[in-house]
Amino acid sequence: MVRVSFVREGESIFVPEGTTVLEAEILAGLKPDAPCGGTGKCGKCLVQILEIAPDESVDRKDRPLVRACQMKVTADIFVDTLHSQKNEHAILTEGYLRPVQYHPGLSLHQIRLDKPEAGEKRSDWERMLEQLPRIGAEASGEMDLALAASLYDRRMESARWYAVYTEGEVLDLRREPGRICFAAFDIGTTTVVGYLLDAKDGSTLAVESRLNPQVQYGADVISRANYALEHGTSVLSGCIRAAVNEMLQALAAQAAVGTEDIFQISIVGNTCMHHLFLGISPGSLVHAPYTPAISQPLTLRAADYGLDVHPKAQLLMLPVIAGYVGADTCACLMAVRPDQKEEITLLLDIGTNGEMVLGNRSRLIACSTAAGPAFEGAKITCGMRGAAGAVDHVFYKDGVWSYTTIGGAPAIGLCGSGLIDLTACLLRAGLIDENGRLESGQEDPQVFVLVSPEDSGNGKGVYLTRKDVGEVQLAKAAIAAGIELLMEELQVTEDDIAEVCIAGAFGSYMNPVSAGEIGMFPRSLTGRVRSIGNAAGEGAKLALLSLEEWKAAETLARETDFLELAALTDFQDCFVEQLGFETA
Amino acid sequence: MSKITEVAELVEKGKAKLVGPAVQAALDEGCDPMDILNQGMIETMGVVGEKFKNGEIFVPEMLVAARAMKKGVEVLKPHLATGSTGANGKVIIATVSGDLHDIGKNLVAMMIESAGFEVVDLGVDVSTEKVLEAYKENPDTKIICLSALLTTTMPAMKDTVAALNEADFRSNIKIMVGGAPITQEFADEIGADGYSEDAASAATLAKNLVAAA
Repeated sequence: MVRVSFVREGESIFVPEGTTVLEAEILAGLKPDAPCGGTGKCGKCLVQILEIAPDESVDRKDRPLVRACQMKVTADIFVDTLHSQKNEHAILTEGYLRPVQYHPGLSLHQIRLDKPEAGEKRSDWERMLEQLPRIGAEASGEMDLALAASLYDRRMESARWYAVYTEGEVLDLRREPGRICFAAFDIGTTTVVGYLLDAKDGSTLAVESRLNPQVQYGADVISRANYALEHGTSVLSGCIRAAVNEMLQALAAQAAVGTEDIFQISIVGNTCMHHLFLGISPGSLVHAPYTPAISQPLTLRAADYGLDVHPKAQLLMLPVIAGYVGADTCACLMAVRPDQKEEITLLLDIGTNGEMVLGNRSRLIACSTAAGPAFEGAKITCGMRGAAGAVDHVFYKDGVWSYTTIGGAPAIGLCGSGLIDLTACLLRAGLIDENGRLESGQEDPQVFVLVSPEDSGNGKGVYLTRKDVGEVQLAKAAIAAGIELLMEELQVTEDDIAEVCIAGAFGSYMNPVSAGEIGMFPRSLTGRVRSIGNAAGEGAKLALLSLEEWKAAETLARETDFLELAALTDFQDCFVEQLGFETA
Repeated sequence: MSKITEVAELVEKGKAKLVGPAVQAALDEGCDPMDILNQGMIETMGVVGEKFKNGEIFVPEMLVAARAMKKGVEVLKPHLATGSTGANGKVIIATVSGDLHDIGKNLVAMMIESAGFEVVDLGVDVSTEKVLEAYKENPDTKIICLSALLTTTMPAMKDTVAALNEADFRSNIKIMVGGAPITQEFADEIGADGYSEDAASAATLAKNLVAAA
């Protein structure tokens, strides 16, 4: 065994010789960022190897940076992971909740457990159920023998009780109403957001977010699925369930409630995240024709999935629309409800896959395009996720360039919104032509330096290469082609689209003008763009706040048609057509 | 000659809509269809492939150039003697079973076609049986190319190559494989004859394999 010491985190771990630094980081619980799953391709896991203990007198500048996934440990080493902004990722937790009638599926009701009159025929259990609105004695009310058995003792203790129950079953009887809570989770491929809601009025008590710890097994759903197929689903299932548990703890602590006060949890996520959470192999998702193993809405027992909340708490899994149009898209639809409108809405959720839905009350069609991870910073030379120091906006006016960074920190890279702005500004400045050819007029004409090494926070500068522009073209063309084919399928034009709702963090930070200029969507739609924030999280909340909405989810998922772009011969033509830029 | 240069320029710039009319104009002027094909398009795609290999242009530009050439060939085809576009021989190409990705595969098909091969494109999600059947229908095939974009469909590629390696016609064909997760190592391991990293190298590789056979 050799010792790997992580100087920044103050952690050490002993590992067998030949272990990679990345594996050591995972073993040490450092949750490193390895978008390509440790295949040596992305170069995002760079670390600095210090053969000797770090010491002020040692000049570290000369120490080379190496890819952690490719570096095998052969002797005791000290490693600097260079991770300074852990947990400082800008994760969007805000959404725009559509007002709905507060009518949750979970109820709290005061009941009496009185001593029965002489000659009473009904059981204590039946007399209790009769007092509960919406259940009633005639409802089957899933039997809970332990609870029924406790009724006599409870009745002796007190006559006044509070029942916590749903349409189908009684979850708990308590002496005091106390505070009962819901938790809603949006499990993204990259980030997980959790909300704790007060079941009394649906108000949000606490919000938590963190990176999906599965990131250490690959950045995108394909590499995750691949890991699951090779090593079994349990590692990935266990790791996301553990993260949800940690978040439940943190949410409860924030709101000063106990985790046993949480009675319903709703979860949304893309189909792969959904399947992995449930412990279902994503095998069918990654082999054509990419069907989900299960898609209907599920009401499960949270405890069966390792969630440490009230032992009878329910776990509501929102339905999935198709293999690559998941429960997160269904939740976005719930937040917007285009099926209730006469005007046509275009819903866009842009991540590694761009999911989109187009339509109105008569028909909704969804599709998914492989936009690639460019807008999440991967595959872009200076790309990064939206964390402190990421250039998030770029401006170009009268020959003057300026930019802003997340947190106002010195620039260290470009996140998705910055990438789109920079590309749009370069087009405006005439430095990128219609084919994506970059002529920056700088020292290296194929590279545009936005932030010089001296001005940057990492000494490397922030720049865009011609190859990066190519990645932007591929990503935006995939989205634009998806929109075009949906319009064709629905037989509408861009003029018919009343509103473009853009979900997700990228959608919120993105400047719609820039997105229109680079041709991610028809430019004429720019003025009709509305950012809807973390709509998937909002949809997850709505499933808890309104029984009608939870039931509507099933219909929405079932009745939204799915257009498989890969099966359309037009897709490639359309995609290639959209690769170029419209120049002024 | 100037009309042919115009075709070449339009192909290189990927002006799909303008290539067809330019080819027609060249024909009207009396240019030899074979010259339009060879000098206007095949040579141009060779230049495009070379620039791609050298990192001067990237995938989007190659895709638009390949599509422009395709549009030009559509106009040109009725004027060419049968077989003149595929003088180097016949190639079967397919994305393996379980994989619906075709952009990379199509690009390889176009580059190989522009290198003077006749390409039989079987499309995506193609089973081993379909590949074997396609060979029976085209017994003059010289190369079979297989593509896989997902790590999860690499086993399917392995199976198809294994079946081809068992086939009685194995000595008559060469097998080429490619796709994002594929490596030379993997190609050697499964018993393919060749691997190339990108579409331009695939065309060169196809020519070399046929020349060596």
